[in-house]
Amino acid sequence: MVMGASGSKLEKALGDQFPEGERYFGLENFGNTCYCNSVLQALYFCIPFREKLLEYYANNKTPGDAEENLLTCLADLFMQVSQSKKKTGVIAPKRFVQRVKKQNELFRSYMHQDAHEFLNFLLNELVDILEKESNAAKDSPQSSSPEKVPNGPVQPLANGVRKEPPVTLVHKNFQGILTNETRCLRCETVTARDETFFDLSVDIEQNSSITSCLKNFCSTETLNAEDKFFCDKCCSLQEAQKRMKIKKAPHILVIHLKRFKYIEQLGRYKKLSYRVVFPMELKLSTSDDVDTEYSLFAVVVHVGSGPNHGHYVSLVKSHNHWLFFDDENVEMVEESTLQTFFGSSHEYSGNTDHGYILFYEGLGGKS
Amino acid sequence: MAAAANSSASAAGAGGGSAAAAGLKTYFKTPEGRYKLQYEKTHSAAVLHYNHGGKTVSQLTVAYLKEKPAGQGSTPSTPSSSSGMRSAAARLLGSGNGNRTLSFVGGNGVSRAVSGSSRIGGGLGTSGGIGSSQAVANYDGKGTYIIFNTADTLFISDLNSQDKDPIKSIHFSNSNPLCHAFDPEAKEGHDLIIGMGSGDVYSMSLRQQLQDSGRKPVAAQHYNKGDKDGTSTGSRCTSVAWVPEREGIFVVSHSDGNLYVYDKCKDGNTECTFPAIKDPAQLMISHAKSSKSNPIARWHVCQGSINAISFSPDGAYLATVGRDGYLRVFDFSKEQLIFGGKSYYGALLCCTWSSDGKYLLTGGEDDLVQVWSMDDRKIVAWGEGHNSWVSGVSFDSYWSPPNSDGTGENTVYRFGSVGQDTQLLLWDLALDEIAVPLRHPSSGSPTFSSGSPSAHWDNACLPTGVLQPSPRMRDVPKLSPLVAHRVHVDPLSGLVFTNESILTICREGLIKIWVRPDQNENNHQSNSSELVLGNPVSKDRVITTSNKATGSSFKQSSAVVFT
Repeated sequence: MVMGASGSKLEKALGDQFPEGERYFGLENFGNTCYCNSVLQALYFCIPFREKLLEYYANNKTPGDAEENLLTCLADLFMQVSQSKKKTGVIAPKRFVQRVKKQNELFRSYMHQDAHEFLNFLLNELVDILEKESNAAKDSPQSSSPEKVPNGPVQPLANGVRKEPPVTLVHKNFQGILTNETRCLRCETVTARDETFFDLSVDIEQNSSITSCLKNFCSTETLNAEDKFFCDKCCSLQEAQKRMKIKKAPHILVIHLKRFKYIEQLGRYKKLSYRVVFPMELKLSTSDDVDTEYSLFAVVVHVGSGPNHGHYVSLVKSHNHWLFFDDENVEMVEESTLQTFFGSSHEYSGNTDHGYILFYEGLGGKS
Repeated sequence: MAAAANSSASAAGAGGGSAAAAGLKTYFKTPEGRYKLQYEKTHSAAVLHYNHGGKTVSQLTVAYLKEKPAGQGSTPSTPSSSSGMRSAAARLLGSGNGNRTLSFVGGNGVSRAVSGSSRIGGGLGTSGGIGSSQAVANYDGKGTYIIFNTADTLFISDLNSQDKDPIKSIHFSNSNPLCHAFDPEAKEGHDLIIGMGSGDVYSMSLRQQLQDSGRKPVAAQHYNKGDKDGTSTGSRCTSVAWVPEREGIFVVSHSDGNLYVYDKCKDGNTECTFPAIKDPAQLMISHAKSSKSNPIARWHVCQGSINAISFSPDGAYLATVGRDGYLRVFDFSKEQLIFGGKSYYGALLCCTWSSDGKYLLTGGEDDLVQVWSMDDRKIVAWGEGHNSWVSGVSFDSYWSPPNSDGTGENTVYRFGSVGQDTQLLLWDLALDEIAVPLRHPSSGSPTFSSGSPSAHWDNACLPTGVLQPSPRMRDVPKLSPLVAHRVHVDPLSGLVFTNESILTICREGLIKIWVRPDQNENNHQSNSSELVLGNPVSKDRVITTSNKATGSSFKQSSAVVFT
């Protein structure tokens, strides 16, 4: 009854503006699975990812009865939503949740989990599955070679063996490249090492912005005193400057705000409720001075005062509307509502709803 | 850093912290000397506030009331000021207020120049004269008042009193006041306009409010947009401004991208319809058909909210900034777009003019302060220094460059900005230094990232009526702040320069008054419109900061000065 009322209410709110072919479904909570639900909603409304996943699944489903895995469960869930006859409602992601718990004991308990850990686990798991299937297809002489566009001599962290792993749909959507540069201050030699990422985890400060947090992420750090750098050219420990540059900007930029900080004295994590504003549009400057423009389309919000207590919800932009997904409940909200999730200027204010993972989509013609 | 932030936060009350809170200093240094915290003003904590539909952000207006001549009756009339009073007023009125706003609330005030001509015999306001004044008169000798809003109440404080509490509270029962503006040049009737969250506007006489001891608005006139079509849902007022040199005309901007022109002498509740807006992204100006209608015109400016508006000091030009990130400058009387440009990214939240009308400042969600040239019709510099969104910008028209001999044109401007990073930044804009690097990056004929046809940056003059796309980060000269000072515990929302001080206000409604250094008095005796730079401004200015983390940030930004 509540479900029906909520669904029809949303359809009435949107009226003629309900987007053609779109579906807005809440996800049932099986006991502290909101970390899962909120990330799933954000990924579902990442249109390039959704479309590529469903396309891949449609193309690869028939050959043999492949065993069930996280990718098939995710694709099934997305299919269930996108092909539903009703425009609104609630879906129970039971198979998906069971598969997650089966594959990762970290998520087996009914305790509260971290949404960012889940997102990382999910994306890397999908990469493993896709790479396996790609390699299997390549080894088979009868099947056609899968689409493969190498990025060059980039060595991903997950796979230390292969020099040129297949570029999966996850890489195409989420992967960027960071360059760690270290410059010896004596001989001025610059040592560069590339590193891939699916999301950027940034430290936060009180009353700051995502812009300044990203700037700090790429800021220069001096290595001196006890922390000197061993320069291969000087063959000795020297003072150096170290910094991070974005070499390749991802198509989907995921920013994780490090709101959970370990406090040594307490022996546990504490939540930083800092006020960090994030704009609807963003730009990243890469090392070749290209400005990549992004638009915010999803925010995963942590509700609560600590890492082990609380709730996750997500806000999602769909066809110029903003929707609020709170497990089963879906409602339309004004864009200005996002400002309530910036955080608190005061540490002990009553506000405990804070933006935790931001999803930005690139506006250029990148693929 | 975290520890300092924690102790600061814990020391602060819900309504904002006292200056004694850890981490906040009560002074900051500039080349001219120390600015010291002189007074603090805030709303009375004893009064309970009710928010009509959401949290509000406090805004600040400074109002100068001229003294009533002694011996005159209580009936208001146009006072004939002495020449001494007039010259004093001339200094006070020069660009006293700046526009500051956030993306969902309005800004205040407008830069105003002294009127070169007076309009005698203008229409009387509908409120007419005061029958008989109250026995209690709350006038201070100097007659300078601070107007600010929190929740459902408008507060009035005496700028020159040590009293922290307001001397007057005006309660609105149906909506929250969000923005306000005072017209020191008003000859008759109402001089204060207030924009509400419901989209309505009120005008009233500041003097009448001060004379009354109650908490309700006295003799207020109500205006509504008059739109009766179903699509109008009472869009929020974001900014209000009196039009300089046009007695009784004011302009109100809204969060739906519309701007309305009102006449305070006309009935504010007339039935009035404007044509439907077909393309929300296009400029569309419509006039009321009936001469009795109020508003007299509607401008649809942009898609999304107009976040702030500002008139040039002579009233000829109107600047708007919006949710779409564009500054737009219009010829107000011709109703034409002169030029515009986009932020680096994100919305623009505030805008203001220099007192000579040659430059504009904007600030917004890219943490930058943008400097625009009216002559060149384009961006001339970006100020890097804030760690969060910029919520207020203002030129300091009372400041003169050191060693000025009082002749020639203005070649160095001082301006300030405040942001949601709780910082006040002061900047020097030395134009002869800005001009040089513009040639250098344009040698490669850069193309803009938005893919528009490439334009040479050093074109002498851009065509009229064009909105420029967002430039690339490396193409715009950069400014670094002279001073960076964390002035409040809460994010800031406004900034005002007066003759004797700088006023800052945070979103929660705490106002701080920073008195200017004493040695600066000498500089203000010279005519500020005839200033010249005696010595070249040093490029190696030391950035003063009270915050170590902020210092490290500025160390980085200084590396990109004049690249």
